[in-house]
Amino acid sequence: MELIITIIYYALVAFVSALLIYNLIKSKEWQKEILTIIVLIPFLLRLFMLK
Amino acid sequence: MDATTSATVVLVVMVVGYALAKWLKLSTELSMVVAALAGGLAAGFGVPARHIAEGAMTYLDINLIFFTATLFMNILKESGGVAFVVRGMFRRFHRRRAVLLVMLTILLLIPGALTGAGSVTVLITGGMVATVLVSMGVPKVKTAAIVFVLAGLSAAAPPVSLWAMMTAAGVNMPYVGFFWPLLLPCLLAGILTMFLLGWKGTPVEIDRALQDLPEPPTGMNSLRIALPFLVFLALVLAGRTWPHSVVVMGLPFMFLCAALTSFLLSPVKIDFLRISRSTIDQLLPLLGTLTCVGILVQLMTLTGARGLLAVTTVTLPVLVVYASLFIVLPVSEAVLMWGAAPVLGVPLVLFFNTIGLNPIVALAGMSIIWPLGDALPPTAIIGRLTVDITGYKESYMSFLKACIVPAIIISIMGTLMVIYSKELGFLTGI
Amino acid sequence: MTPMLRKIVFSVAGLLLLIVSGMSFYESRNLKEPVVVSDGVTKVVRLSTYFSPLQGTANDCNIYILEGKEPGATLCILGGTHPEEPAGRLATWLFAENAVMSKGRLIVVLSANRSGSTVTRVGGAYPPDFTIPTSWGGQTFRLGDRWSNPLDQWPDPEVYIHYPSFQELAYVDIRNLNRCWPGRPNGTLTEKTTYAFMEMIRKEKVDIVIDLHEAELQYPVISTIVAHEKGQELAVIASMMLTDMEGFKMGMEFSPKNLHGLSHREIGDHSDAISLLFEAPEPFLDATRGRTTREQLLTGQDDFVVKAGKHGLLFEKIDEKGWPIDVRVGRHTSAVLQVMSSWTEAYPDKPLVCDNVPRYAEVIARGTGAFLRAPAEARQDRLFHE
Ligand SMILES: [Zn+2]
Repeated sequence: MELIITIIYYALVAFVSALLIYNLIKSKEWQKEILTIIVLIPFLLRLFMLK
Repeated sequence: MDATTSATVVLVVMVVGYALAKWLKLSTELSMVVAALAGGLAAGFGVPARHIAEGAMTYLDINLIFFTATLFMNILKESGGVAFVVRGMFRRFHRRRAVLLVMLTILLLIPGALTGAGSVTVLITGGMVATVLVSMGVPKVKTAAIVFVLAGLSAAAPPVSLWAMMTAAGVNMPYVGFFWPLLLPCLLAGILTMFLLGWKGTPVEIDRALQDLPEPPTGMNSLRIALPFLVFLALVLAGRTWPHSVVVMGLPFMFLCAALTSFLLSPVKIDFLRISRSTIDQLLPLLGTLTCVGILVQLMTLTGARGLLAVTTVTLPVLVVYASLFIVLPVSEAVLMWGAAPVLGVPLVLFFNTIGLNPIVALAGMSIIWPLGDALPPTAIIGRLTVDITGYKESYMSFLKACIVPAIIISIMGTLMVIYSKELGFLTGI
Repeated sequence: MTPMLRKIVFSVAGLLLLIVSGMSFYESRNLKEPVVVSDGVTKVVRLSTYFSPLQGTANDCNIYILEGKEPGATLCILGGTHPEEPAGRLATWLFAENAVMSKGRLIVVLSANRSGSTVTRVGGAYPPDFTIPTSWGGQTFRLGDRWSNPLDQWPDPEVYIHYPSFQELAYVDIRNLNRCWPGRPNGTLTEKTTYAFMEMIRKEKVDIVIDLHEAELQYPVISTIVAHEKGQELAVIASMMLTDMEGFKMGMEFSPKNLHGLSHREIGDHSDAISLLFEAPEPFLDATRGRTTREQLLTGQDDFVVKAGKHGLLFEKIDEKGWPIDVRVGRHTSAVLQVMSSWTEAYPDKPLVCDNVPRYAEVIARGTGAFLRAPAEARQDRLFHE
């Protein structure tokens, strides 16, 4: 049961990461692009189980 | 060079870096990162990748709460639930101004209380409440002021109050006992603001107002609105009542369940992917703020700049601290946004703790003053958003003037809560 | 620059940051710390021996058992409950690598919360590791955090409600080993870990458990023994002897009855063992600290903390000499040895006599590193890793 919840959290992190990457591709302002990448880093670090 | 001098140099370099970035028209979030990087270089750490990434991780869990809670609110709005409630309330109570004002106060407090973000309040209920207020004869400038002040209070209100959460985490203090010390002043100040600015007006033009409000879809009813909230409440209560037989769920999962319930019950078809994407887009400045604040705080800690601020604060005379809260807190909020909590809130709470105050009530008092800074430059994010959403078109200055009376009341309330925190300690229930 | 190219440039920079930091996180999570066990170590088992569900988890740590030549009582030392308090872990290293029990039995744990030793605190700017100089070059240790690694236990609850007291605690403390005693078999990883230790304490009939910690100087519980009421006499005598004979101040206070989840309360309440907790001063943990560096961690020197002390904000004295790691480790080894001898005086039929472990003055004089053994020269069957 605990494992299922943890998997849901990783799925949520993956979902948010995908949304951020989508918005990065669609973005037209350079500042927004940098900010999106900065926001993305912690999500990816968790997704790849590095931190 | 001794520790004080070198940390002062780092701090100055950070401030200069921030100012320069702002001057080059960089957003506040990116300016904070520039400040952090400049500080790291000045202190001889180069570009410490590990520390930058670790700092960015600091508020990952809070960012997840943010996303899931705001997704919930957006689905509720998109499904017509918010419009349904506002119209229903309006139709029923339009002849009783006092009751209506109290209802509108609560409507403005809920989204920010759940998500921790004032901007979510402005986006979810701010627009519709503004429509109602204008139809009640409240001038536009006062309407904008009401929405802004209430949005700030809603962010400070429990259960999710980021200033309190972030500061408490910074001093290893449990985020426990904050519910009443945060809720009571927010409710009181909220209702006071609403009556002060919204009592005078004209009799309600019900027909015109109903025309201006969005039409809820057919099939919307109170059950469809209540059920997602009940799901959320049930999960919170289950976790608290049977903590050792119910699996650990965490707030993001609970909000996600509420969002899904709301999605499934919506009478109109909602494109889940589209609304998720726009939620992320809408939240980017907020997620970005938290992430960049994390980086800045980590670099300040690494370089000793944070220690310098902390040790300077804890060695100040008590009266100076009390008397400057009303100015220092909003200004720090305007510059650092939530970063004000870990950077300034932590040393202040340590200070209050050492002089024998109740840190929980004192922190709650500070938490209601902080959001006032959201209308001030350089950021003024929520102030500008409010002006935008409520359709107020006159000068920003007169909007600020309209906020001044409630701001003074809230500052006095917050400062008194700090000074008399020990006497008010019973509110924590600990 | 075209928008596409711009995005690629930014993404590459982001990726670079991700890879460099990710490698650093991965390396410190997987850094192996050698332990060359002393001749006195008669058996090394895993914690999962006592509670099998821990098998394969980050917290299945080594348990070093030193059976004495003559029978006596059993004492267990827990190091690494809070890995960010390195003197506690280092002191247990000195026991595992040097101790020989002539009477009684010693159980040594170096990484009570192993998961917590694989991560550093977000926002804390901790160095990932630190090195203790030795004659053969130096030994590197993971610094670790106060809480279990979120990679091993995630998510945290809305509020942490302690088992079995139902006391409400901060949500992060569900990953704090010293808020999770006595644990439960079907709980979170951290609760399972404390449960496994409780099983060990019961099965091995442990008489005394000592939990080694360090604290910031701004924290009132410092330089002291926190004792369960069962250990009152033992703690009082040990603290008096240490102050009189070895010249460092060591207080004694009772474990509060209504503060739940802590080892000094729950181990004593839920087993036959006496539970004690030792605190040494660690300026590295102070919020007023200056630059957060390895040197500060090991020397304990910090101008800002000194300044806070001058304003009467601290509960332990500090000057420009700081609190060097050897002083902190020495306090712990001496305090453990003193508890053994005070116990033996009170219960001569159940003695605890430990040889070969340096006391306070000796650790300061020769340095902690002098008592760490070179892994390169060790026999393979005497070499373990934490
Ligand atoms: Zn500790």
